[in-house]
Amino acid sequence: MSSSRGIRARRGRKSINKSFELQLTSMMDALVIIVVFLLKSYNTSSNSFTTAPGLKLPISGSPDSPSDSLQVIVTPEFLTIDNERVLDFIQTAGNAGSNEGGYSFKPSDIDEGGFRIIPLYDALIKSREKTEILLAKSSARVDGKPITFEGILAVQADKKIKYDTLKKIMYTAGAAGYKVFKFLAMKRET
Amino acid sequence: MFKRPSSRSRSNHESLELPLVPILDTMVTLIGFLLFTTSFLGIVAIESPLPQSSPEEVKEQIKEKPLQLTLTFKEKEVLLWSPFNKIPSRSIPHSAQGEPNIKAIHDALLDVKKQFPKESSVVFMPNKDATYDNLVAIMDSVRTLEPSDPPIYLKNETTGVDEALKYLFPKVIFGNLLGDS
Repeated sequence: MSSSRGIRARRGRKSINKSFELQLTSMMDALVIIVVFLLKSYNTSSNSFTTAPGLKLPISGSPDSPSDSLQVIVTPEFLTIDNERVLDFIQTAGNAGSNEGGYSFKPSDIDEGGFRIIPLYDALIKSREKTEILLAKSSARVDGKPITFEGILAVQADKKIKYDTLKKIMYTAGAAGYKVFKFLAMKRET
Repeated sequence: MFKRPSSRSRSNHESLELPLVPILDTMVTLIGFLLFTTSFLGIVAIESPLPQSSPEEVKEQIKEKPLQLTLTFKEKEVLLWSPFNKIPSRSIPHSAQGEPNIKAIHDALLDVKKQFPKESSVVFMPNKDATYDNLVAIMDSVRTLEPSDPPIYLKNETTGVDEALKYLFPKVIFGNLLGDS
């Protein structure tokens, strides 16, 4: 009696001791492939550029990466400054819902012979003043003086936008003290 | 004589196993870090300064007569010219599809660069209907030298060694922001 109980107990112990092992080698293979792929396509940027839905950027082979700066996004429907919507274009029956857009301004939104976009100018001036205050308060100094306002404006616009609209934006930015434009585009895959 | 079954199972044949678990931990951490920090959306920038001139610069330019290479975009052609007649004007007609002929513009600028290797800026005068897509494509062809282009050398004034140029006309300035086309 006692011997049969002992055999059963031993059998039970055997089944518990059967260790379950994960197939780690194949998992390692998959992970190595993922790591190699990520390292190959690794691309870091110190700034985070946001984009608007429906915006199609042109493609460029420029080797320059965009630096951190104020960003204006121009879509067929609206214009934003640092993700704040400052202007809506007039939507007509012809361009409503289409990607081309009319990029027409309300007469109350432009002045100086149709060159300056008033809401954009106000937003740029506000942003400039804010940046200048921050630079003046900052402890960073160049030759003992606070860092001067660089006036860089990154322009992210739909590829179908006409130069006529871009010109108005550039003129307005120039009037607000922005001296350098950085036209953003999608990197061409080589 | 055979060994007892119990002693066979306890033999000294210990299998060598790689410690995969800590390696796996490292891999997972690395993948998480790479996924978090990488940007899959490759964005590039094309810089263009606002046209500015100071009276002193203007005086100097009048003495020297600059090239002031200008690209004027018209409805059916692109005109390459210099306001000071440093180069003969060239008209580059659009392609049959009505788009600017990027290759011909690049080749024409390559010829100018061979004559004026120190020149680095070009003035753009697009017409109001030029699309941003076309402007970026032309800016690309104006700014960069393709690997298939013949090398253009310029003597480095500090070292005295001839160096192959990497850019064609990297400084693109929009010259008609005030409305004159």
